[in-house]
Amino acid sequence: MVDVSDVAEPVTTERAASERPVIAAEHVDKVFNTRAGEVHAVRDVSLAVHSGQTLGLVGESGSGKSTMARLLMGLLPPTSGTVRLDGLDLSTVRGARLRQLRSQMQMVFQNPFGSLLPHYSAAANVAEPLRLHKRGDKAWRRERAVELLDLVGVNRRFVDHYPRQFSGGQQQRIAIARALALEPRLLVCDEPTSSLDVSIQAQVLVLLEELRSRLGLTVVFISHNLAVVERFADRVTVMCMGQVVESAPTEALFGAPRHPYTEKLLAAILPVTSDPLPQPDISWRSSPDQPSALVEVAPGHEVRES
Amino acid sequence: MTNSLLEVRDLRTDFLLKSGRLRVVDGVSLTVEPGQALAIVGESGSGKSITMRSVMRVLPKTARIAGGSVRLDGRELTELPERQMRQVRGRQIGMVFQNAMEALNPTLTLERQLTEHLSWHGICGKAEARRRAIETLGDVGIPEPEKRIRTYPFQLSGGMRQRAMIAMAMVARPSLLIADEPTTAVDVTVQRQILDLLAEFKARGTGIVMITHDLGVARYFCDDAVVMYAGRIVERAPVRELLARPSHPYSTGLFRSTIEVGGRDRALAPIPGAPPDLAQRPPGCAFHPRCERAESVCRENEQMLLPLTVNGVSRGTSGRPGAVREAACWKVAAHG
Repeated sequence: MVDVSDVAEPVTTERAASERPVIAAEHVDKVFNTRAGEVHAVRDVSLAVHSGQTLGLVGESGSGKSTMARLLMGLLPPTSGTVRLDGLDLSTVRGARLRQLRSQMQMVFQNPFGSLLPHYSAAANVAEPLRLHKRGDKAWRRERAVELLDLVGVNRRFVDHYPRQFSGGQQQRIAIARALALEPRLLVCDEPTSSLDVSIQAQVLVLLEELRSRLGLTVVFISHNLAVVERFADRVTVMCMGQVVESAPTEALFGAPRHPYTEKLLAAILPVTSDPLPQPDISWRSSPDQPSALVEVAPGHEVRES
Repeated sequence: MTNSLLEVRDLRTDFLLKSGRLRVVDGVSLTVEPGQALAIVGESGSGKSITMRSVMRVLPKTARIAGGSVRLDGRELTELPERQMRQVRGRQIGMVFQNAMEALNPTLTLERQLTEHLSWHGICGKAEARRRAIETLGDVGIPEPEKRIRTYPFQLSGGMRQRAMIAMAMVARPSLLIADEPTTAVDVTVQRQILDLLAEFKARGTGIVMITHDLGVARYFCDDAVVMYAGRIVERAPVRELLARPSHPYSTGLFRSTIEVGGRDRALAPIPGAPPDLAQRPPGCAFHPRCERAESVCRENEQMLLPLTVNGVSRGTSGRPGAVREAACWKVAAHG
């Protein structure tokens, strides 16, 4: 393997040459061995997110976007390829050092109830990462947890309730508070607002926007909700069946999509205000057996040949 | 005057808790005509699902219908003996849920799940039931229905499962379909297919109640909408009117909270706070603690659902016969 210092930047962006990305994937593949045979969940994905930037990862269920999130977090080892945090290959780090790195990268999951400890109160859930990383004493951790819960809109009166006593939206707020407890640099959000009500979804997005700029967070934002991604991301990568089919600055992707699959996704949106209601139906079938190349069609705008 | 397909009047449903009765559906009235779709819009806990479960009388054990009337084709359902109610559910009302994997029985083939109630209710014999099941699977766009009828739910993709569930709801050709967030759990491209499929049943005359929190779905699919908050209807309007000019502050808030593609420049204005705990229902208008327009009258008294009129002429119904525009708010100026 090549030395860390002279690895080529994986994705061409205007900033890549001058600055090392916070998180980067280089030609990452992931194959799961299941009883039904091999499942090639992620195919040759390269991406990079720079400090303070937000990358939106979109695609339908089964596109490999959640697997990608776990790969970026070092929760799954890639079958081949490399994931780097601040240039450091995650697969070379173990034990205490890895734990220390993990405090810089936190995750908000799709299913808040599944990701919270059911027998811990809301405050204890949020204090848990602080305890694991030996921050402060017990009283300070609780105080900090209550502050964080307040920040995400969970009323002080309810901090000693258990996760199942909260609505889905409130549970997700608790999960976000927990993710922020260690003041991470990188936040990986996997469908963070999908389970929330409309008014709550907007609150959480406004909150995430605010936290992102205040804390200078670098964010990977995974969603199938294109409107949310358009609002939140600086750059968008579209995945289909484990592959990146298009990757572009947000405005370019929404304004001038180049790949038929991206067009198909955009055409499926049901607008609330704008007219006319959309037309169906661009049919495009992915053929993963015939690999084709990502081509740069404009500066920073890449499309897979179809 | 002829009967509507579904006519719900002043429906009230309580949860019986240790701490006492909790009213979760409070005086809901709504009407559905054949071939029309009504959207029930609101957040979780607003009572939209419990309202429709009250109509079908498939409530949790702790819930009771406390009053009001539910008429399907003119027939009162709230007082029907359970035996007959079962017939109504089997023949006249179909229901589609958010999560097909939970609604379908994982241990039975599609054939069993689609035909069982047909023969059980004596709607038709076994051979005819099978023929109908295959036909309905074809109708919902499942390829090779003769083969697929022998599969189990887990062998189908998410979109196909959703279709299979719709087939199960529609196989007895019910006149009313209740769809509870039918597209929330599916991908955007599948969402359109599912809605277009439901639209076909609608075009054939099925009345549809669609419970949703997605205003885009409501606009694409439904004719009329009611907005629910804390167990009550706060606004009723044709969908397009509602989205063009929401009048209740809660409807306005929902609308402003909605994120849509191309709306990046529009400032997000989420409604502050969260829906109330019904056990501690705010006095007066339940929405007043979150409402920027609230005044003392809102904190003390609740406004009824009243027609929006200008000089006695109803307004904002685009002239469609039967269309109604109502809101329950002290601050809506044009109340009668």
